[in-house]
Amino acid sequence: METEILENLKKAVVAYDCEGAASWARKAVEEKVDPVKALGALTEAIRQVGDGYEKEELWLPDLVGAAESMQSATPILNEAIKRAGGKKQSLGTVVAGAVFGDIHSIGITMVSTLLTAAGFEVHMLGVNISAEQFTEAIREYEADILAMSALLTMTAPEQKRVIDFLKKEGIRDKVKIMVGGGSINADFAKAIGADGYDPTAPGAVSLARKLTGKGG
Amino acid sequence: MLKGFTRRFKALEVVTEEELDAIHRGALDVLETTGVRVEHDRALKLFAKNDCQVDFEEKRVRIPPWLVEDCLRKCPSSYLAKARDPKYDLRIGGNTFYFLQGMGMRYVDLDTWETRPATIKEHREAMIVADALENMHFAGAYEFYMDRAGIPSCMVMLENLASGLRYSGKAEHMGYSLDCEKFAIKMAKELGINLQGELGMATPLTFYKEVVDATFSFAEAGFPLSPATVFTLGAEGPATLAAATVLADAGMMAHIVMGQLIKPGIGISIQHGIKPMDMKRGTPRYGAVSKGLTTVMVNQLLRRYAIPSFSTAGFTSNSKKIDFQCGFEKATGTLVSALSGGNMHVFHGGSAVELFYSPILSILDDDIAGWIGHFLEGVVVNDERLAINLINEVGPIPGHYLNREHTRKWWKEEQFIPKATDREVYPVWIKTGKKDAIDHAKERMEEILATHKPKPLTSGEEQIIEDVLKEAREYYRKKGLITDEEWAVYMKTLESN
Repeated sequence: METEILENLKKAVVAYDCEGAASWARKAVEEKVDPVKALGALTEAIRQVGDGYEKEELWLPDLVGAAESMQSATPILNEAIKRAGGKKQSLGTVVAGAVFGDIHSIGITMVSTLLTAAGFEVHMLGVNISAEQFTEAIREYEADILAMSALLTMTAPEQKRVIDFLKKEGIRDKVKIMVGGGSINADFAKAIGADGYDPTAPGAVSLARKLTGKGG
Repeated sequence: MLKGFTRRFKALEVVTEEELDAIHRGALDVLETTGVRVEHDRALKLFAKNDCQVDFEEKRVRIPPWLVEDCLRKCPSSYLAKARDPKYDLRIGGNTFYFLQGMGMRYVDLDTWETRPATIKEHREAMIVADALENMHFAGAYEFYMDRAGIPSCMVMLENLASGLRYSGKAEHMGYSLDCEKFAIKMAKELGINLQGELGMATPLTFYKEVVDATFSFAEAGFPLSPATVFTLGAEGPATLAAATVLADAGMMAHIVMGQLIKPGIGISIQHGIKPMDMKRGTPRYGAVSKGLTTVMVNQLLRRYAIPSFSTAGFTSNSKKIDFQCGFEKATGTLVSALSGGNMHVFHGGSAVELFYSPILSILDDDIAGWIGHFLEGVVVNDERLAINLINEVGPIPGHYLNREHTRKWWKEEQFIPKATDREVYPVWIKTGKKDAIDHAKERMEEILATHKPKPLTSGEEQIIEDVLKEAREYYRKKGLITDEEWAVYMKTLESN
């Protein structure tokens, strides 16, 4: 039974089947399959999709589809780990959002989805997020990483304002800051005092691993 | 009034009238069935008062088809963009085509292709070049060089606009952020000009508070509105071009309804740009053929509605250099937009998505703009230009046309001559240092800066600009958006220029 459940969890992820993934996760809990082992099966499946993406056999819609199906199963398994007295598995806590004045959500949504699938605990605040809201969330969730995006030329400078505000509040050094967006580059990121920049969503996952010391 | 270019032939179409009907009906269905999310209490009340079905808790507005079509009819088919120098006023709509200054956040070094924040001098020089370029009709000072050395981010758009007004007499448009549009509107009103309001809705089907605030501000000032429906295929919008056009149509019609309910009869143009996503990198693909096709489809819709079209196809390239890819991606998109009935096209000077703006590129783009514009002007066929008698007179070889009065009279009018391309013959090209188009553009920029004098501001106009900037600076300082440290750097930056 355990083998069947683990195989079906993997199949659900590679078939982008959210309902199937959640249903097999519940089955795993019912059948007392080790939830850490079940999470491992999900991770193996997402890695398989990631390999396909690297080889350009699979693409972002596949990566996001697989990540979302994984996301529908992981809370069920994490809850089981918690009930058993274990510690929720996470590579780190991320607060994410598009800066104040910017209403473009797709980039930061992709980053959040892929970070979650990679094993980060992500608190996606949404778009049009003020420096004060980012600060509050960093404190509340004790975030390791702040991931900010700004697509527009007119909103990119707001990323600097957030960083300056964090300095003023005395918490800049407690969090690693990564920035992204169509109109910025690594020079800009460096100039505003961010810790890292990557132009792509999958690259943002590697960057987050690097910033938290969990591999690049 | 600046004439711009006039399209003198039938517009290019890629879908039939029946297919266009299906897109329009589909968009009406989306607006009536699903509606739009509007995060603005005043707007929600306005929609409710005008027979829309409004769920105040969900902030959802469902708009009946009759109201949509009524508001489409209320939009004028053209409107005036009032420039500081009246010779640059623009009448936007109909068969007229104007080119706008493009955007790009940073200054680019043409030797290393690396970027950095722009200085006051660099913005000023780019505006003087913009004022001089004959095929750039509409300036866009506010939205290029948003990364400015020494200027706090909350003041950049206003300082850019002020620089535009100081160093160019051309019409300007304006975005919104942190209330800066309110100061810009005040400045424009006192100067006796208008500013087309650039308004970005969020796709799919969402209006956040700031864009609705700005819609109210520009409309109540009586300034034309330019709502934008700009998104990526398969990410913020559906993957198929037909469905994406339905979504774009629904979004733009919702914004048109909002604008016409706030101020009936207000001039509106629709800014549009639907492009594919690079499914490996998650970044938009500019210059893609599907962006050309959706541009033509939206232009077809807007011509049917008799509402001016403001296209962004070709406004930038994914190239990080001024090179073959940059020219190809920018020119092809712009050309199909012009051929299919676009009225305004954001174009000159920007590349690397929105990363850089270059006055050198704006000079090169001016040649593309001139080429496209002259193509739009088409061909005049009359007795004098048909010249049947001349052809009979010259006859076969050894006859030729170089020695004819008809040639001397007409060749310049019938040809477009780019100003910065390499047209030299090979041996001379070798002897004169193998100059390419970028070298020619650099020479042209030097010449413009040495000779071109934009219409100067009067002392009264300068005072208006400075007073509004001062008021804005104080406002942002009080709001804590300019720190003491930033203020010191800011004042030093202004003094040193």
